[in-house]
Amino acid sequence: MLKRIVYLFCLVCVIVACSSSDDSSDDNTDNFDRTALLTNYADNIILPALENFQSKVSALDVARGNFINAINQTNLDLLSDAWLEAYSAWQYVGIYNIGLAETLTGNENGFRAYFNVYPVSTALIESAAETNASYNLNADAYFAAQGFPALDFLIHGITDSDITPLDKFTSNSKSNGYVNYMTDVQSQINSRTTAIVNDWQNTFRDEFVANTSSSATGSINKIVNDYINYYERALRANKIGTPAGNFSAGQTFPDKVEAFYKNNVSKELALLSLDAVQQFFNGEAFGNTANSGASLASYLDALDHTELKNDINAQFEVARQQIQSLNSSFSQQVINDNTKMTQAYDALQGAVVLLKVDMASVLDIQIDFVDNDGD
Amino acid sequence: MKRIALSLFTIGALFTSCSSDDDNETTTPQVEAPATFQFQRNGMTTVSYSGQTTRIEMGDEFVSALLDNTKTEVELDGMFTNTGDYFSTTDLNSSTKNIRSKTAASSDYFSSNTTVANQIKADFDGWIANQVNDVFPNWANTATPGNAGQLQESGGSIRYVNGKGLEYNQAVNKGLIGALMVDQMLNNYLSPSVLDAGSNRVDNDAETLAEGKNYTNMEHKWDEAFGYLYGTDDALAPQLNVDSFLNKYLQRVENDDDFAGIAEDIYNAFKLGRAAIVAKNYSVRDEQAVIIREKVSEIIGIRAVYYLQAGKLTLGTDNATAFHDLSEGFGFIYSLQFTRQPGTNAPYFSKSEVDAFIAQLTTGNGFWDMTSTMLDNMSGDIAARFNFTVEQAAPNN
Repeated sequence: MLKRIVYLFCLVCVIVACSSSDDSSDDNTDNFDRTALLTNYADNIILPALENFQSKVSALDVARGNFINAINQTNLDLLSDAWLEAYSAWQYVGIYNIGLAETLTGNENGFRAYFNVYPVSTALIESAAETNASYNLNADAYFAAQGFPALDFLIHGITDSDITPLDKFTSNSKSNGYVNYMTDVQSQINSRTTAIVNDWQNTFRDEFVANTSSSATGSINKIVNDYINYYERALRANKIGTPAGNFSAGQTFPDKVEAFYKNNVSKELALLSLDAVQQFFNGEAFGNTANSGASLASYLDALDHTELKNDINAQFEVARQQIQSLNSSFSQQVINDNTKMTQAYDALQGAVVLLKVDMASVLDIQIDFVDNDGD
Repeated sequence: MKRIALSLFTIGALFTSCSSDDDNETTTPQVEAPATFQFQRNGMTTVSYSGQTTRIEMGDEFVSALLDNTKTEVELDGMFTNTGDYFSTTDLNSSTKNIRSKTAASSDYFSSNTTVANQIKADFDGWIANQVNDVFPNWANTATPGNAGQLQESGGSIRYVNGKGLEYNQAVNKGLIGALMVDQMLNNYLSPSVLDAGSNRVDNDAETLAEGKNYTNMEHKWDEAFGYLYGTDDALAPQLNVDSFLNKYLQRVENDDDFAGIAEDIYNAFKLGRAAIVAKNYSVRDEQAVIIREKVSEIIGIRAVYYLQAGKLTLGTDNATAFHDLSEGFGFIYSLQFTRQPGTNAPYFSKSEVDAFIAQLTTGNGFWDMTSTMLDNMSGDIAARFNFTVEQAAPNN
């Protein structure tokens, strides 16, 4: 109370004694051009990444159709290729839990719940495919039975009663059920993707750019929260920390890596995710990283925090080198030498502090999520 | 940033424009030190640290069990991790808490250093395993250089040591003081990275309470630090020496005339810091954290030197007694890596420096090969970095 009175008194002094000053009490007074930043993010990074993702999803759907029309190993391999292409493109859009995407679920993983929850629940998939029981891919329980991890199992996994991945679509007595389930999973990916991309193209792009407020509901606050949330959870925790046992008292989980059934692409996907994170930070255009615009990095420069910007980029580099040193299959890495996995985790975590504490403080951004490390 | 700029600006305006006002000193409210660590809101206590009390109680049972040669490795690991219902009470067995997950687990030291944290946890796992697989089978044998077994002190007590003369139970017990209590207190709960995490400061300013609780998150974090020292003691009038961990050794240091007053200093800093959180005065809060970091770190440093010097007194004449002291010293030295130099993000001794001390203590036949000169050198190295001398820390005799 006393403090408030004193502050009020100070403020009165400012107004009375220093009214010639043009420093207003509006807290959005840095001269940084927020519109330029949001425009660069929307037009050169987010929308192009989303549109690229949409085209890869379309190609995936075509490959799925070809496979179902002629079920054989060759077409399954082509489907696998298309799946990996789309999964790779996904790594560039998982950050953007904003606009329509944000409203799709109340899940802590946001819209990622429809695309990339792993480990996949093979029990749910097998039950859905092999019994007549109804299922609902929009129900929370089925987040772990759809998206890329579900396709990963369908394309590369082997059910209990089969010998090869292809068997579930051929010799398996419930092969029709697997074909149908794959179709449903693909439909869900298609419709969610289309809805989100349309939202950006038709309305949300302009809303996003126009909302330059520095408040918690302003675009910069929201996108930075999404960005850090993605980095901390989707990249650091899900791709590396969980299989490495960082959240399970050291018990490791080789089966909780991304793309477990394909198995040899977890490193590749993690590196793409880190590329997406770093390119976003530096404002580099999607597909053309030589072309960069206003960004979190240039915002830090503008506020005289170039050193922090450099520290963040340096830490991303450390993390990249650690991840590059890993086995292309994180499952194998966890089994062979988990210390290197935890070292990669530590390198990623090093940037969490820089982003979530230091950068958030400099940019005056309130972080809207916390680690669940309660006691 | 802008807030700071604005505040500086307004304060500046206060000084330049309103200098006739002599109220300048009170821009932050003074914090009145309460008599005890009692804090209430709406007539109910706001203090809670049951999780810390639970872990201290688990620790007490666990370190006692390390000296029960009928225990299996599974049982002892189960007590370390609270799996398998091996504690004596349902309360402890059904608790969601465990010791191991908070070992080397502070935000400041280990959140980006989980590889090292895993190594430290593995040290404890290894000491437990070796106690069961190396020392228990030799329980009745007399220990000799290179061979685990028992040694009897001239006073009668029997000590169970490994081939290097080390009591694993002491390594675990005194190691936990650093890796659990000190690390959680100094490098986690008293750290702004935890006290101010998320919206804690905004919430504390607005007295927004944690969901379903009578405290703000920031108040609770501070209390959890308090709990690692006073969790089984009387918070309003600490008796000390009521657990086997930090509380006990604060009493030991307090009872040395060279350091008398340290217990009051620490308690006062805890209650003033807590009052400062209630008063939303974070500079006073952080000043008290500095005091606690320094004094609690000193407990570790003093006891490390104390036991090295104590071991020297009987080394070669009563090795059972000497090895017991050196085993305690080993654990306190191990704990040095969890101390916190005020004003830094670093311990008084880094992990690699501690590893070098441990290597000196365990090379060859370990304590059997130890000399007074080696113990004096180590004592001197440790004391030199703290604000006390070897003589002050050494046993009075």
